[in-house]
Amino acid sequence: MTEVFQKYMGSGLMLIWFALALIYLFFQEKRKPLRILFLYTPIIIFLLFFNPLFYRLFQATVGTEIYFRICWLMPITIVIAYTIVHICDSILNAKKQSISSASPVFTSVKKIFFTVTAVLILFISGTPVYTNPLYTPAENAYHVPQFVVDICDAIEIEGREVMAAFPDEFLLYVRQYSPTVCMPYGREAYTGSYNRLNHLVMSDEINVDLLSSLSKAALCHYVILAEGKTFLGDMNDYGYELFDTLHGYEIYKDTTMNFDTH
Amino acid sequence: MIPFFIFVILFFAVPALIGYLFRNIDESTRSLPFYWVSGQVLLWAVFQLLCVPFILLAQPFSKVVLYFNLLTAILLAISLIYLLYRSCHHLRRTAKHPNIVSLSSPKRKSASLLWGLFFLLLIFQLVMAIFYAYEEGDDAFYVAISTIAVDADSMYIKLPYTGGTTGLSARHGLAPFPIWIAYLARMSGIPAVTTAQIAAPLVLITMAYAIYYLIGKILLADRTHMIPFFMILTEIIVIFGGYSVYSAENFLLVRTAQGKAVIANIILPFIILLLLITLNKIHNSVKPGITLWFLLALTAVAGCLCSTLGTILTCMLFGIVGLCTAFSYRKWWILFPLTACCILPLGYALLYFMME
Repeated sequence: MTEVFQKYMGSGLMLIWFALALIYLFFQEKRKPLRILFLYTPIIIFLLFFNPLFYRLFQATVGTEIYFRICWLMPITIVIAYTIVHICDSILNAKKQSISSASPVFTSVKKIFFTVTAVLILFISGTPVYTNPLYTPAENAYHVPQFVVDICDAIEIEGREVMAAFPDEFLLYVRQYSPTVCMPYGREAYTGSYNRLNHLVMSDEINVDLLSSLSKAALCHYVILAEGKTFLGDMNDYGYELFDTLHGYEIYKDTTMNFDTH
Repeated sequence: MIPFFIFVILFFAVPALIGYLFRNIDESTRSLPFYWVSGQVLLWAVFQLLCVPFILLAQPFSKVVLYFNLLTAILLAISLIYLLYRSCHHLRRTAKHPNIVSLSSPKRKSASLLWGLFFLLLIFQLVMAIFYAYEEGDDAFYVAISTIAVDADSMYIKLPYTGGTTGLSARHGLAPFPIWIAYLARMSGIPAVTTAQIAAPLVLITMAYAIYYLIGKILLADRTHMIPFFMILTEIIVIFGGYSVYSAENFLLVRTAQGKAVIANIILPFIILLLLITLNKIHNSVKPGITLWFLLALTAVAGCLCSTLGTILTCMLFGIVGLCTAFSYRKWWILFPLTACCILPLGYALLYFMME
């Protein structure tokens, strides 16, 4: 569970501010409903999270892969934001109380200084979600790479499903975009589950005889291969014809397969 | 343009009107954002209660659409009648007491500026949701389920990764959030993949902030000028939530239309809001009304729509807050309605373990 928590914490700074916010609220927040929801509840959840009995119970019933989701019960965003506002407001109130004294300018500066520091700390403590390298400009209204859209459109046959073997970079997207293009292997092929046909499609040298037997066994109407592969054998000899070339991919159609629409 | 308008009606106008049924919960909740969120929560709960039996019986998706539309129409009709009744009542009251509506306090310039900044940051997040794509592996599963439901009129009987036929995947079918995405797609005419990747995120991100606003409104009731500052801070924390791929904030922006993101960023914060209202009432020695308990129970059911773990998370939150309240106020009766709120989620949990 420590490992899970470390993963959830990431850099850890945001959760340190959360802990500090809880300490601040412990001393400063007097309203009971708020203490229950934003102080006692997160502390109990935290203790529960690190309770080995609870962990074992969770492991036995749900599994540990999603144990981190217990942390979602801690209202981190609300507590940190509210604490910063609370401190700011306290400074503002101090200003009002000391208006007759000589320090209102000082308290204003103090408030601005605190606000700027708090915001800067949040900037530094977190990581912008959008800097993740997996974020890329969308190529269309489907958020699916355009090469997937165009190749799926090219091989779709109205009124029936088609089976096609794709390289890895297609696997996440084909079924999101097209319900009629089926695949002999899916996302699991490159997340651990070995598939012989997938392995062959991804290799630089294509043993045409093996590819043909595997793809025919999987009832593939099409085989999509990246351009520049070395073929050991002739695709035409096994009933394949080059159907189209799009975005650097060659689409081979198995002419021996059934393309009838019913 | 027509699909867009249908989508707006389905996701904004219909829930906001239905949510008017919950106007009596508390003075602090009489606002459009609360009606909108609570109406949507009610619709999600109804969808869950309707959809799961249909999935388990391997019924076609179109039947779910038909019956859900029927139920939505009934709820809408009840809400409109109630709205009409309240409007007449309100008109009579304002005629008798013309000064009953007090003038709102003058807006502070700085607060307006901060609100402007908040909306700018919100628009930035929405624009990013439209124009930037995230390579999210789980979408290959969830979005494909929605696409299949719309196209093949079936639910959880085809393998989403490959398209092959399989036995009923009832375990996933107990939390059919992708089917709700499919429902929106079917009704609006927007492709399921676009609904999941663009249309739904726009609304769900806005909804998450609407809940933060409602919480902020209660937390800062005596210093309302600080609400926009609170909202900007929540936005900064969310935008900078990339410190971990597991954080709720990261889920909100990256996996927005997945059920797990909805439970982390809409269902759980909404339960916190409702519990805050409940505790404030108890604190002021006012009994929380049946509508409030009902909405809490509905939110727990809506949590089950989003994720099978929703059953555990919502019940845990009810349990912890319930026990803390019971100890703090020496009011043990609160445990009874909160336990009642857990009955349906526990039923779903039981079903899940039976299928496992």
